[in-house]
Amino acid sequence: MEIRELKALLGLMREYDLAELEIEDKKGKVRLVRRQHDEAGADAVAAPGAGASKRTAARPPAASGSANGHAAGTSQTELIPSRSVKTPELGPNQKYIESPMVGTFYRAASPDGAPFVEEGDTVIKGQPLCIIEAMKMMNEIEADAAGRIVKIICDNGQPIEYGQPLMIIEVV
Amino acid sequence: MFKKLLVANRGTIAIRIIRACRELGIPTLAVFSTADKDALHVRMADEAVCIGPAAAEASYLNIPSIISAALTYGADAVHPGYGFLSENGDFAEACRKSGLNFVGPQARHIRLMGDKPRARRIMVRAGVPVLPGSDGNGVTELRDAQADAGRLGYPVLIKAAAGGGGKGMRLAHDAKELARFFPLARGESEAAFGSRTMYLEKYLEHARHVEFQILADDQRNAIHLGERDCSIQRRHQKVLEEAPCPVMTARLREKMGRAAVRAAEVVGYSNVGTVEFLLAGNGEFYFIEMNTRIQVEHGVTEMVTGIDLVKESLEIAMGGTLRFKQKQIKISGAAIECRVYAEDPDTHLPSPGVVSNHHPPAGLGVRVETALYDGYRVPVHYDPLIAKLIVHAENRPAAIMRAKAGLREYLIDGIKTNIPLHLRILDDPDFARGEFATDFLTRFEAAPRAGEVVHAAGR
Repeated sequence: MEIRELKALLGLMREYDLAELEIEDKKGKVRLVRRQHDEAGADAVAAPGAGASKRTAARPPAASGSANGHAAGTSQTELIPSRSVKTPELGPNQKYIESPMVGTFYRAASPDGAPFVEEGDTVIKGQPLCIIEAMKMMNEIEADAAGRIVKIICDNGQPIEYGQPLMIIEVV
Repeated sequence: MFKKLLVANRGTIAIRIIRACRELGIPTLAVFSTADKDALHVRMADEAVCIGPAAAEASYLNIPSIISAALTYGADAVHPGYGFLSENGDFAEACRKSGLNFVGPQARHIRLMGDKPRARRIMVRAGVPVLPGSDGNGVTELRDAQADAGRLGYPVLIKAAAGGGGKGMRLAHDAKELARFFPLARGESEAAFGSRTMYLEKYLEHARHVEFQILADDQRNAIHLGERDCSIQRRHQKVLEEAPCPVMTARLREKMGRAAVRAAEVVGYSNVGTVEFLLAGNGEFYFIEMNTRIQVEHGVTEMVTGIDLVKESLEIAMGGTLRFKQKQIKISGAAIECRVYAEDPDTHLPSPGVVSNHHPPAGLGVRVETALYDGYRVPVHYDPLIAKLIVHAENRPAAIMRAKAGLREYLIDGIKTNIPLHLRILDDPDFARGEFATDFLTRFEAAPRAGEVVHAAGR
């Protein structure tokens, strides 16, 4: 293999963020291993599908000052605030229940109603877990698998974005 | 003053809107798809909300998601930018019905000007010259198109009635081409705009695309801010724009400007908009369409007039009246905008990838609008327009020199761009003389190249 070809392969690895690449042809075999650099910021939790570097946009109207002003990262300036949110980490056999839409999170079907679920409850697939209200329409969010509700991450009345983790379910 | 403005867009225009809001003290709320979670507009805004997965239909074109984001996160205003939902009358209406201020004209203006045959009819009644073309509401069947073409004479341009931005547009030089291209164009129109209605226009050879910037308030005061020449296009997509038009005279500007303002006034237009004309070599001009939004190339008008169009449109949306009289608008110097696309300069295929060594040019009269930064991954899902280099100088030759200097200074590794194409265009003697029409780029790229010029920095 020529240097030119090796360089092209290295470029491909970088571009597609590959850790290892092995190529075998008539001329021989070559295996390239790339050391991964730690990309996660200090506070970010890399969880699949959770987009951990996402900053929650939820700000109660009464709150003064923005989370941006107190940016944690020293390399960040005021103009480009850091976005770090503490989403609880997943344990074994656990996954997030993520919001499929933008809206407001409610634990119960009505303001004085009982919450759909509490932490520790066992649920079946299709069981309603909470409501996301969008433009005055109440959308029930159902469990997509049977399991146990380990953690309810969001608060009643909290603004929610697409893909935001709402709960953690331990799948049986 | 708006409490909070939701930027219903991404990329360079989202940055532009956030900047203008910052200057006016309006808090901003960015929306983004999962593919854009590291995008610059997300990091720049005061707050950001994820509204959907990568596909545009599920995110940036998702009206319920965007409106829900505005209502849930306390925004009282929405700016649609350009592209996406900016010319969607339903979106404008849905915003206003939800109690949100929409930064732009009324829904009826968007719908009216979005119906191209109807817009033409209104212009005819208003005494604004239009190209000879299909009458009535347009045509859906080939035989009706053939009848129109017989009446108009070839060549004819086949256009989508619900269209814009060059989609669903084909040129037919004779009856055979019409029979071949009409169904194709109609299919494209159906896919892009959900409509099979087309219309024909007589094709004007060697015409320049000259458009006028309109600014109007809610009290029917309307002015124009001069013209832009956008003739440098590939397949009806603009590549390079400039202000003023190199062949414009004060008299012609007055005449065309008055027609543009009349077009806006006759429909009671408000906020920013652009009236597009074709300018023939003999000085005759014809209305083609009106764009009811801020445009990509608005920056060149800002440079030569000194007026911040996005701030003005925000002020108007907040209830302000027009701050300028027509006679106060002065065109000074010359400005050129080069649209930088993430594409292979020869094949024009998109070139997504991770940007590195990003160093945009700077200096007097050099302005870069971009959402790029070192380490940013240009996504595959969206428009490959990644930056706009806008220069301004005391005259056109100086602006050309400044543009070339800026392009050569512009470093971007990791992706391919069309910067080399821009350098070749700016070097072209016909371009330097201001002698070009909308077929410039087609002929330019068809011509064999004399030789490769090696550029130190710009690639």
